Amino acid sequence: MGKNEYIPFKSEIKEVIKHTDIEYTFRMTYEGDVKPGQFFEVSIPKYGEAPISVSGIGDGTVDLTIRRVGKVTNEIFEHYVGDTMLLRGPYGNGFDLDLYKGKEIIVIAGGTGLSPVKGIVDYFHANPDEANSFTLIAGFKSVNDIIFKDDIERWKENMNVVITVDKDADKTCKLGLVTAHIPDLVIKNIENTVAIVVGPQIMMDCSVEELFQLGVIEENIWISQERKMCCGIGKCGHCKIDDVYICLDGPVFNYTKGKLLRD
Amino acid sequence: MSVNTNKLKKNAFRVTNKRGLTASRVRVPGGYLKAEYLGQLQEIADKYGNGLLHITSRQGFEIPGIRYEDMDKVNLLLEPIIEGLEINQDIPGTGYTAAGTRNISACIGNNVCPYANYNTAEAAKRMEKTIFPNDLHFKVAFTGCANDCIKARTQDFGIIGMTEPQYDKDRCVSCGACVKACTRKATGVLSEVNYKIERNPDKCIGCGECVLACPTGAWTRSKKKYYRLVIMGRTGKKNPRLAEDFLIWADEESIIKIVQNTYKFVENYIDRSAPGGKEHIGYIIDRVGFMEYKKWALDGVEFDDKAIVINNVYWGGVHYK
Amino acid sequence: MGYKISLDDMNLALEELSKDYMIYAPKVFEGEGKFSDTDLIRYGEVEGLEEIVFDEKSDYSFKEALTPISEVLFYFTEDEIKEADKPDRGALIFLRSCDLHSLKRLDEIYLNNGYEDYYYKRLRENTKFILMGCQKSFENCFCVSMGTNKIDSYDSYIKLEGDTVYIDNKCEDLDKVFRKADIQEVDVKPDFVEENDIKVSIPDNLSLDVMDAKMWEEYASRCIACGRCNFVCPTCTCFTMQDVYYTDNGKVGERRRVWASCHVDGYTDMAGGHSYRKDNGQRMRFKTLHKVYDYNKRFGYHMCTGCGRCDDICPEYISFSNCVNRLEDAMKEVE
Repeated sequence: MGKNEYIPFKSEIKEVIKHTDIEYTFRMTYEGDVKPGQFFEVSIPKYGEAPISVSGIGDGTVDLTIRRVGKVTNEIFEHYVGDTMLLRGPYGNGFDLDLYKGKEIIVIAGGTGLSPVKGIVDYFHANPDEANSFTLIAGFKSVNDIIFKDDIERWKENMNVVITVDKDADKTCKLGLVTAHIPDLVIKNIENTVAIVVGPQIMMDCSVEELFQLGVIEENIWISQERKMCCGIGKCGHCKIDDVYICLDGPVFNYTKGKLLRD
Repeated sequence: MSVNTNKLKKNAFRVTNKRGLTASRVRVPGGYLKAEYLGQLQEIADKYGNGLLHITSRQGFEIPGIRYEDMDKVNLLLEPIIEGLEINQDIPGTGYTAAGTRNISACIGNNVCPYANYNTAEAAKRMEKTIFPNDLHFKVAFTGCANDCIKARTQDFGIIGMTEPQYDKDRCVSCGACVKACTRKATGVLSEVNYKIERNPDKCIGCGECVLACPTGAWTRSKKKYYRLVIMGRTGKKNPRLAEDFLIWADEESIIKIVQNTYKFVENYIDRSAPGGKEHIGYIIDRVGFMEYKKWALDGVEFDDKAIVINNVYWGGVHYK
Repeated sequence: MGYKISLDDMNLALEELSKDYMIYAPKVFEGEGKFSDTDLIRYGEVEGLEEIVFDEKSDYSFKEALTPISEVLFYFTEDEIKEADKPDRGALIFLRSCDLHSLKRLDEIYLNNGYEDYYYKRLRENTKFILMGCQKSFENCFCVSMGTNKIDSYDSYIKLEGDTVYIDNKCEDLDKVFRKADIQEVDVKPDFVEENDIKVSIPDNLSLDVMDAKMWEEYASRCIACGRCNFVCPTCTCFTMQDVYYTDNGKVGERRRVWASCHVDGYTDMAGGHSYRKDNGQRMRFKTLHKVYDYNKRFGYHMCTGCGRCDDICPEYISFSNCVNRLEDAMKEVE
């Protein structure tokens, strides 16, 4: 018999980072290959499993940033350093960093959509020589909703970082939608430009439209999709769209494929 | 013209508002009959009546416009219908033996209706077999479910079908269809606890909506059929009222026995000096008290564990007198 | 290898086989139909061949024998996880040609699509399949259109005729058991239907553009999203995970999976409350295209096997085959 992929493993909480009242990052022990954009199925006592994307990759750890939405992910906040959680994964294809190396990279994230791309930003922050340029545009509802604040300050050292909020901007951010900042991007070689867009569907659609205006071709755009995923391994069917299983074939899609996904 | 009106009334004819003309009432227990009998009714109506038929409120037929002197001929033509519908009869060829105990009516039941919890027409026939002929004035009706399309609650005895829902948790997918159906259409006794359904048996009316709603067959009907017996509803000039629950989760055999016992009770307590010698059961019970009636009604009746017998029944309705 | 044996000998053979196998077949569940005084035909364990319903289509398919409606995956405590035990016996499943074709679809999803499903595999690898013939096409069947009316990948074919049982056997283990009876070698060929009253044609030019056709609007008002079509379907495999807790702290309990339906509310619900396809017509579109379009795109053959159970059971008389046959006009409309 092959491996029983449904049996979760124990992972220890090494650190808990509170971003906002409802968003926490749990730094979990994990040995093994994992890519930004992949996800783990996390067992949450008194609820069940929820797919949580990897928001950071460390030495023997993975970060799981969890938003307290509905009853799904509430219980998880009762966990503290030293506790264990049950995980399965990592699942999904994740982002292939090699595709972005040597390019002018634009990352556009909306809200918690910053989680799945945070590993990409971290990587090119640590390896600035591997990108021709790097821009992050991240949008949030308000200043209080901004996650990864410390990381953002760190990224600003060697990257072009634009943070936007829908209302009540302060000195750290700008007012308005992420899409407003796409036309202003300074790009040297549009053919050597790649864009990664993750967030709510409407935000992704509008951002891609702006990128097209800029001259970025769809082959150079990647998005990440979020759907109900019970199993994460191509069995339960909930995440299927057309002939695509988000959990197996995604959640990261080149836009040439991603644009075809209609639920 | 000499006509013994007492005799003709017991023969299911009646004195009408047209001098010289009577009408014949035809029993159809359960209200479900072969269409061929309609042809025979037509023959009688054309030959001896005025060519018209009335569909009675109790699901029989009334053939109006019959001359009193043709009653015997009508009775002869009624014979194949009486025999075909298996109506108990004292002397063949002489028409109906009694008329006081009215036709046993029934909603269409599970011959057609998805909601019915049993075959009401067959049950009506079994009851008819047991209690007819009898000249005491009894009204009995069977209805398939709590929707009560036959209006069993306007009868002396209304029998409402029930099923005890059986739940197989291993076939349940927590789709919520039963909870939704019960909440919206019935009494809201189902709730989902830990992905499985809990039923409050105290408030379940046994309507079967959960069974109908369940897409996987997790809910099924009990092998045994159950009935709610509601009693002493009535229309009329003094105190019209709806029947009230007497038994819940009862079996058919017990109900038949109780109706039979009620005949004995009425025989014993009826006020023979009442107009026409008729006193309705409900008014007799009003007079002698429910507890006395209950003693008679439950005599020799053995329920199984599930049956609930209401200790004391109270009726409302409108009091005009 | 074809032979015939008596019904009594067959039942003795089944008795012996029942030591190693649970014998699943379509049988009558008296009074378990949804309406009063009606029966249900579904899969259950049988002891004798005469219990098996050969002359009617089962309301539900064989799949519940391989993918239980509700299946415990494991039990958990604060310290350990204990995998649920597998049955102590294998299974012998009686099924028709269309359903045996459906098995390939179950295998595709559970064994091939991405990871291997441990729980499916451990049941599947200890299961033998006994083909039941079809002397006539049943109502709503369209197996011929789907190319599933014939099959030869069975372990054994069994036909009951009076008191005689005709067998075409391909399985050594079964052969050993059958041969204990007084057998007479004869040529046995399974009964397959060659034609159905219902025929479907799937347009060659079918594409996702059909999503925008008007036809789905009609189903929006007709479909009641009960999911019966999915639950009776021999090829629907979706499930939902459920954690059930034995203690208040949520640390001791079991995780199980239960059948899910893409027609039933909640199928696409995500944490936070967002969901897709709220319109029942779009759910019909999603299912229909999966059965006759996108599954084929991914795996190279159609998912639907034409058993017609979805048509048989729909309380709103929505016909899946009729829906498929409307796709051609729908494509003309959107092109």
